[in-house]
Amino acid sequence: MPPVTLPPVVSDPARLEALESYAILDTPAEPGYDDIVALACRLCAVPVALVSLVTGDRQWFKARAGFPACETDLNSSVCAYALEQPDELLIIPDLTADPRTSANPLVVGEPFIRFYAGAPLVTPEGQVLGSLCVIDHQPRPEGLTDTQADDLRALARQVMTQLELRRALLARDLTRAKERRAYLAREALRDTQAALTALGDDLDAVLRTIIDGAMRAVPAAEGGAVQLIDGDALEFRTVRGTLVPYQGLRIGMQGTLAGHCATTRMPQRMADAFTAPYVNRDLIAPLNLRSAVTVPLLRGDTLLGVLQLQSGKPEAFSAYDLELLRLFAGVTTSGLGEVTAHAGMRASDTFWRGLFHRLNEGFVVGEVVRDEAGRVTDWRYVEVNPAWGELLGVDPSTVVGRTIRAVFPGIEDEWVSEFAQVVETGHATTFTRQVGSLRRWYEGRAFKLDGERFAVIFLEITARIEADARRNALLSLVDRLRDLTTIPAMTQAASEIVGRTLGATRAGFGLIVGDVEFIDIELDWTAPGQGSVAGRHRYDDFGNIRAPLQRGEALVVNDVASDPRTRDDASTWQGFDIAAFVHMPVRERGRTVAVFIVHDVTSRVWTPDELAFLRNVADRVEVSVARVRAQELQTVLNAELAHRLKNTLAIVQSIAASTLRGVTEREPVEAFERRVLALSRAHDVLMQKSWSAARMRAVMESVLCMQTDMDRFALDGPDMDISPQAALSLSLLLHELATNALKYGALSADAGRVRIGWRTEGSQVPTLVLDWSEHGGPAVTPPSNRGGFGSKLIRMGLMGTRSATLDFDPVGLRAEFRAPLAEVQVLVH
Amino acid sequence: MAQFQASAPTYVLVVEDDPILMMSLVDFVEQAGCEPVEANSVREAIQILETRTDIRTVFTDLDMRGSTAGMQLALSIRDRWPPIELLMVSSQPWDASQIPSRGVVLGKPFDRRRIVAAIRAFAA
Repeated sequence: MPPVTLPPVVSDPARLEALESYAILDTPAEPGYDDIVALACRLCAVPVALVSLVTGDRQWFKARAGFPACETDLNSSVCAYALEQPDELLIIPDLTADPRTSANPLVVGEPFIRFYAGAPLVTPEGQVLGSLCVIDHQPRPEGLTDTQADDLRALARQVMTQLELRRALLARDLTRAKERRAYLAREALRDTQAALTALGDDLDAVLRTIIDGAMRAVPAAEGGAVQLIDGDALEFRTVRGTLVPYQGLRIGMQGTLAGHCATTRMPQRMADAFTAPYVNRDLIAPLNLRSAVTVPLLRGDTLLGVLQLQSGKPEAFSAYDLELLRLFAGVTTSGLGEVTAHAGMRASDTFWRGLFHRLNEGFVVGEVVRDEAGRVTDWRYVEVNPAWGELLGVDPSTVVGRTIRAVFPGIEDEWVSEFAQVVETGHATTFTRQVGSLRRWYEGRAFKLDGERFAVIFLEITARIEADARRNALLSLVDRLRDLTTIPAMTQAASEIVGRTLGATRAGFGLIVGDVEFIDIELDWTAPGQGSVAGRHRYDDFGNIRAPLQRGEALVVNDVASDPRTRDDASTWQGFDIAAFVHMPVRERGRTVAVFIVHDVTSRVWTPDELAFLRNVADRVEVSVARVRAQELQTVLNAELAHRLKNTLAIVQSIAASTLRGVTEREPVEAFERRVLALSRAHDVLMQKSWSAARMRAVMESVLCMQTDMDRFALDGPDMDISPQAALSLSLLLHELATNALKYGALSADAGRVRIGWRTEGSQVPTLVLDWSEHGGPAVTPPSNRGGFGSKLIRMGLMGTRSATLDFDPVGLRAEFRAPLAEVQVLVH
Repeated sequence: MAQFQASAPTYVLVVEDDPILMMSLVDFVEQAGCEPVEANSVREAIQILETRTDIRTVFTDLDMRGSTAGMQLALSIRDRWPPIELLMVSSQPWDASQIPSRGVVLGKPFDRRRIVAAIRAFAA
């Protein structure tokens, strides 16, 4: 076999890093991806479809239909060549004729693949991770139709969306963990600062406060110590955690980490004591010191000592931990400075004001306002910092002295009652809440100061909350779309989700007529109090707005009164209560065929994230609509096929009847006609499930009722889905048994009955056992000859297993048939 | 088959555009003891009904060229010649509410017993 030359992009480190960032490899199958490959098979009419991700040494399948292995080596990969063309489909009509694949093991051996079409999976940054590919066992010189190519691209975009969603969730969890960490650290720092102001000149109390705060802010620390310079040694003055036994320990300045830090006055991060240059190796074991962060404690230019945190594990501390420790050292320095100067002073007003001003967090000091009964009804701004102004979008200088209800008319009551609670109880509280009139979300902490005052420190988290809402909306959209079966139900569900998620006043779906001349808006979703705009509208009546939609781009207007495209018709828009809107096109074969519309009664800036969300919803609806159309087409085809099959069977009956016209005995002709009829009854039942399966009881009833009244049969057994082959075999078998029973057996007498019972036996290889027992008929005598076709059919048994036992009991015929359950039953979900 | 009947034969108009299926339909009519009159199209069937008054039953296939031709014929017979009985065969599912009153529809492939019984019942 000639050596395979893979495209160099396969092993591009940037591409492999991008693939790694999705953390998708070797994860379990998920229905979202499985649905996509199933749909790809149906839309492209192929037996095999794969979501294939190409690593440096293998291709791994996140989802697969019609392909046994979950991964292959790159030797067998066709998808690797799809990586070379991020902008187009890779289509190989005959893999045996293409030099890249003619020697591929999957082409020359099992499963003998012949046709390949793959749509690249391209990240937003332009890296190709692999492909969504469809494969056939026959060459296909004509390739894919334009529609199939469009569908495959749309599905590949859906795969990427699923992957992006996954990456966004991972990133969100990471960001949350980081935010949480930073929040805890800030709290520790703030508490430490607050505690220091309350302390007098008790040096040990100051050091205890500081080391407790630092240990809290850096959870990786197992032990901590403040080591103060005493002559030419460092003394363990205040100790925590694993270092508690070493209170008072003195170590030298030379050859120790703390000494190195003190000498150089530079913060130090030691990743691993075993390899670090400045460490006293005799201390490693007793102090359980494997990694550490150490910062100098200074007052002005005077070196007081070092603050050190350590762990028994290597690489326990990050650069961020070192940064945090420096902050604590800064606080310590100011605390120690005061202590050593015996100033006995509280932190100066200037210090706090500076801190207050530099904070990125919003900071408010408020004072509650009570009514005559002493109940808190409002609160007054005493002081706010510059960040407060940025986070609320209000000039801070205008609010001091006014109450919150005056500054934000109609604000939610919780913004008053919760802070009132803090003042009443003295318990601090954390909150995550929206100021509805601003459409902005805040997360923060409120704590009591003195008397009627409280302070709030907070951050804006609108972006995070809205991103979460959009993610959840997409997930619920996927669920809803999967369950819905009609196109109007899908567009309505999507409209509602879009409207609610974007906080819009109206959302809907409209079909485009002509070259974006008219729009027929279907039943739309509206916020309470808003009217519907369902019906036909002409685009030119609303301004010069057709061009972007004709190009397939979104039409985005933030303010109809100022946008040059709509301002001349602003009153028309306002007549519909529309001040801002988006039309997001849905494309089919390069044309805009429908749009998603979102309206807002007030002007607003549509963010790129919101537009991306809408694009995504439109894509999802497009794919789901394609799925429904494919199913509808399949149903029509099935009905047509059933009709032709039945008509053809009628013609077969006619041909047989006229061919056998010379036969004087009519009985064989009629027996033939009835066998054809029995076969057709099984098809009727199979048709209800598109020929994939049939209910066992329904098959039995449809063939037996052709013979005589159903009340002469007693059916007794568990109903199950059986395979098409089993349905045909069962109906022919029962037809012959019933024909015989009518002619010679129990059913030839008025009182005769037949019991048909079935059960499964055996656990290793389960077997279906079918019993036919007649009673109440004339006395039975065994047949004298081997009989004709009917008897042969009965002896062949179920599914041709020949496992048929006939007992000509004089009371009535009893027959038992056996077949492997696995061949009879199909599992339909 | 009809010769043992003492009275005049009972005529059944058989409407079918497929010659092979026509053989079967005729066979069923004869087996029921009636006299078939063949029409190869809806138009021919209407012409026969307009010129003869001795047709008591029409036996038509609903699957003929021009998909709904058979059903239209049935509906116009019920409209123009209300006393005539209607027996129909079809390979497609039918909507019971669309069937003209007293009409009987049977499926394909053929169930000879039911078809013959239905012709006999109308002829009686």
